[in-house]
Amino acid sequence: MRKTWIAALACALSFGLAACGGSAPSGATDDAPAGGVSPEGTIKIGSLHPLSGAAAADGQQMDNGAKLAVETINAAGGIAALGGAKLELLSADTQGKPEVGQSEAQRLVQEGAVGLVGTYQSAVTANVSSVAERNKVPLVIDVSTADSILEQGYKYTFRVQPSSSVLGAQAAKYLSEVSTAANTPAKTVAILHEQGPFGSGIRDSFTAQAQELGMTVGPVIAYDAASVPDLTTQMTQVKAADVDVLVVTGYYRDGVLAAQAVQTVQPGVDAVFGVANGAFDLPQFPAEVGQAGEGFFDANYHADMTKPAMQELASRYEQQYGDAIRTGAVLSYDAVQVIAQALEKAGAADPTAVRDAIASGEVDTLLASGGPIAFDDTGENRNAIPILMQVQGGAVRQVHPDSFAEAAPLYPGQPAPAAR
Amino acid sequence: MTTTAPADAPARPRIPWGRVAAVLGVIVLAIVLAYVQSGSGIVVSQAVITGILVGGVYGLVAMGLTLIFGVLDIVNFAHGSFLALALFATYWLVASTGMHPYVALGVCTVLMFALGALVQRGVLAGAMGRPLENQLLITLGLAMVVENALLLFFGADPRSVTLPGDRGVPILGAVADLSRILAFAGAILLAGLLFLLLQRTRLGTAIRAVAAHHVGAELVGIDTRRIHMVTFAIGTACAGAAGALVAPLVTIEPTTGAQFNIIAFIVVVLGGMGNVAGALASGLVIGLAEQVGGLLLPGQSPLLSVFIVFVLVLFLRPQGLFGRSG
Amino acid sequence: MTAAPTMTDEPAPPAALPRQPWNRHLTVVAVLAVLLVPLPLVLPGAQEAVVVRVLIFAILAIGWNVMSGFGGMFSFGHAAYFGLGAYTTAWLLVEHDVSPWIGMVAGMAVAAGFATVIGFLALRYRLRGAYFALATFAFAEMLRLWATNSDFVNRAEGYHVPLLPENSWWYLQFEPGSPNYFWIALGLTVAALVVSILFLRSRAGQFTLAARDDEDAAASVGIPVMRYKLVTMALAGAISSVAGAFYVQYYLFVDPDLAFGSSQSIQAILPAVIGGVGTVWGPVIGAAVLGPLSDVTATVLRNPPPFLEFLQGRGGLDVILYGVLLIVIILLLPKGIYGALRDRWSRR
Repeated sequence: MRKTWIAALACALSFGLAACGGSAPSGATDDAPAGGVSPEGTIKIGSLHPLSGAAAADGQQMDNGAKLAVETINAAGGIAALGGAKLELLSADTQGKPEVGQSEAQRLVQEGAVGLVGTYQSAVTANVSSVAERNKVPLVIDVSTADSILEQGYKYTFRVQPSSSVLGAQAAKYLSEVSTAANTPAKTVAILHEQGPFGSGIRDSFTAQAQELGMTVGPVIAYDAASVPDLTTQMTQVKAADVDVLVVTGYYRDGVLAAQAVQTVQPGVDAVFGVANGAFDLPQFPAEVGQAGEGFFDANYHADMTKPAMQELASRYEQQYGDAIRTGAVLSYDAVQVIAQALEKAGAADPTAVRDAIASGEVDTLLASGGPIAFDDTGENRNAIPILMQVQGGAVRQVHPDSFAEAAPLYPGQPAPAAR
Repeated sequence: MTTTAPADAPARPRIPWGRVAAVLGVIVLAIVLAYVQSGSGIVVSQAVITGILVGGVYGLVAMGLTLIFGVLDIVNFAHGSFLALALFATYWLVASTGMHPYVALGVCTVLMFALGALVQRGVLAGAMGRPLENQLLITLGLAMVVENALLLFFGADPRSVTLPGDRGVPILGAVADLSRILAFAGAILLAGLLFLLLQRTRLGTAIRAVAAHHVGAELVGIDTRRIHMVTFAIGTACAGAAGALVAPLVTIEPTTGAQFNIIAFIVVVLGGMGNVAGALASGLVIGLAEQVGGLLLPGQSPLLSVFIVFVLVLFLRPQGLFGRSG
Repeated sequence: MTAAPTMTDEPAPPAALPRQPWNRHLTVVAVLAVLLVPLPLVLPGAQEAVVVRVLIFAILAIGWNVMSGFGGMFSFGHAAYFGLGAYTTAWLLVEHDVSPWIGMVAGMAVAAGFATVIGFLALRYRLRGAYFALATFAFAEMLRLWATNSDFVNRAEGYHVPLLPENSWWYLQFEPGSPNYFWIALGLTVAALVVSILFLRSRAGQFTLAARDDEDAAASVGIPVMRYKLVTMALAGAISSVAGAFYVQYYLFVDPDLAFGSSQSIQAILPAVIGGVGTVWGPVIGAAVLGPLSDVTATVLRNPPPFLEFLQGRGGLDVILYGVLLIVIILLLPKGIYGALRDRWSRR
């Protein structure tokens, strides 16, 4: 009796919702123009990030960064070229799943977003970029390293962050420069990397450049970031190979495991050198691993803490969200700025015009970078570069190149022996 | 669904020496091959030490699961999320009161026992005897709820717990963290306690009776519903103890527990469902397979060797390495 | 129907089979299909994406239901077949410029072959229940790990389907939001449904049901249980692979986690259980309920009614709500939505 009722209700509910629009607010119908200024006079920008799931920490930071950018622009009077029109951020949760990312991106486009920013995971970004391309709405990628995304020849996809080939090659140069300056040039390098496209992409570009600079690379050890329980065996392999430098590429959890393994095994290297490592340059890393992470380097894209505007943003973030800002949030902030300035330049809230303005524009950035954000033909930010950071005295400091340095690099940066 | 393989009694005092010897033989062979492959004694001994210690953690996580599996016949996908809950409870106790992590263990175990009883009575009792997939999906729903509730309350930032006085301890040229060695000792201790509980107490006898023959147990006057609740609570309490022991070794995030789920199920099946000592032993086998296998198959994911071992064992002995022959 | 082995030397099916309303099922399929055809013309684009997603997972669940509902073999590794369909299509298209339609057929063959091998091994060694489930799971995981580290399929990077400048039926690619996607998905779903109905009606299907309900009895009257179980698994694998093949064409991207990850295996089970395991309509109804559910929970929490205002913008809440609804539905409707409705009707 009761069960029939429930079954019927469940059926009716879902069919009803599926039919009459479970996921769109009542205002968004299919005859709404794609893009443009809505009747309320706001211009919509979509933000797609993993707000739940395994990458929620970064996703929430990035969404907050995009929100701060919108608040900043609105407080300064909105888009002047469009009569001071205000921006509105439409936040969506991709849950880190490509299917969800795709339908949420469709929804944001439907609701009139003139541009999208996102999405952190490469698989989700790959999907969303095809949605953007086919709907002719620009997507500004804040974080997603995989080179393959922009190798599709998409016209509507741009990337603020450096690609993995730039990250790996620059890192090898920095290593060579810093170690040579300290009169202990790195000759032999071991690589420990996660086995996904991110880690293997960095491995390839780093290896190519390092060999060109006369370094010998090996052993190269891969691990599965999602499941690896411990890295001491891998660290012992490094120790047995007796190399000068250990390069580590991976995410947060495995970065912490690597630091713990370094402390336990004491591989006897001159430096532990992260390349785009998801742990070594985060503000909470020194606190989590304590003494074990002291002296670690990381070559990564990073917010430029020497810029006053960046320091201001960091303190605003801290005030508003009670947390130290990560570089991901700064990238999202910049990505929204890219779209806003394109709106200003195009003088029209039309996705295609915005796309053209993004492609030809130059936008100041809060990141450590070789110049303003400007995109080449493939959509890569041609001024995006990594910089070198080091954990010194329990804090992450920018150490190289000189123009970004907050402190001098300490090389060899071998962590102090276990002093606990 | 066809009839499932008869559930083993939770634990048996007799040890299958022949099989243990065979397993040890295979392990020694794998170690020798790994030595030939890598050519470095220190690397191999580190792999073996790490494999044993990591395996202890796997066994620890799997113990509660195997008990629930053996007695209630539930594939409990929420076990990993209970572990995550215990990790956060430990973190919270340590961070807010400055408690020693191993003191938090006691609190955690009691809390998780109560939670397990509640969950079984409130949610799972209504699904007893239903098909495997129904129960699996209910526990999956539970896992979603627990993991995302943790995300809501604690936020997504990773947390950590440090064990006061943790350091590297040299063993046979290799090194191991003290916290790992203690977690391993805790696993053995817990297995021993569970074994005693199942073998030497009236409650344990009742649990084994329900596992061996549900209807028969009811006929001799055992309150099977109560036994189900208590068993689930004990299993969850094991996750609580495991959480406190593992806390210093892992990065604490809402999804941390889930990464143990798959391995834990493999360990449960290898050990023979419901066999606590078997879970510990097969945890070690899997830990070694992962670490030594990583050396044997360079360039492949270490997990691949785990699954190869799993499938081979499944075909050779479907009732598990240490299960009673059918 | 795949393999319809010569049955001359085999016994006739048991005489007293319950009468099944086959023609009524087929009629309902036809009527529903016709009714649904105009749907994309009235739906806004974002909803169409949801509906297409529903259809993809309906196909996957129909495949699962054939194997686990009709065949009684609990598969917890359906991602293997989904992924083989996806990867075969993508590999043929990207590396050899082969039409996805041909890729789809090739994917069916590959998945059916793989299912037969797994089935042979698992049944040969008499794995059942949870053991069988975990063995299938292990095979799916091994495929994932192999694909992640194999140059043959582009390692962890997976495949992007190249975008075409114009619509193409041959390459199964249209402008975004095109109703063609919906119609093709609908056609594939209807085909999968019809095949599953015809299978159930066939002799092979009836033998399979008999073997599911009492294997010993079925074997004792001379039914070659092993053979029919393998046929069932092969068919289920082939159906599920279609979901994967279409997934790649719709989402234009595949990597090892998407194709072989455990979340796809769970996606295969969910709709069937919610809708009703072992029933013809269960997977479809389940997919129709579950597909939009996560979008609905996300929407409710994005624009909450006034009394729920305090919940706004908290990451993870929508997933909690989804989990709770899942538990409630399974607890209240153990036989699934269709099962509960059918019980009610037949009691009348």
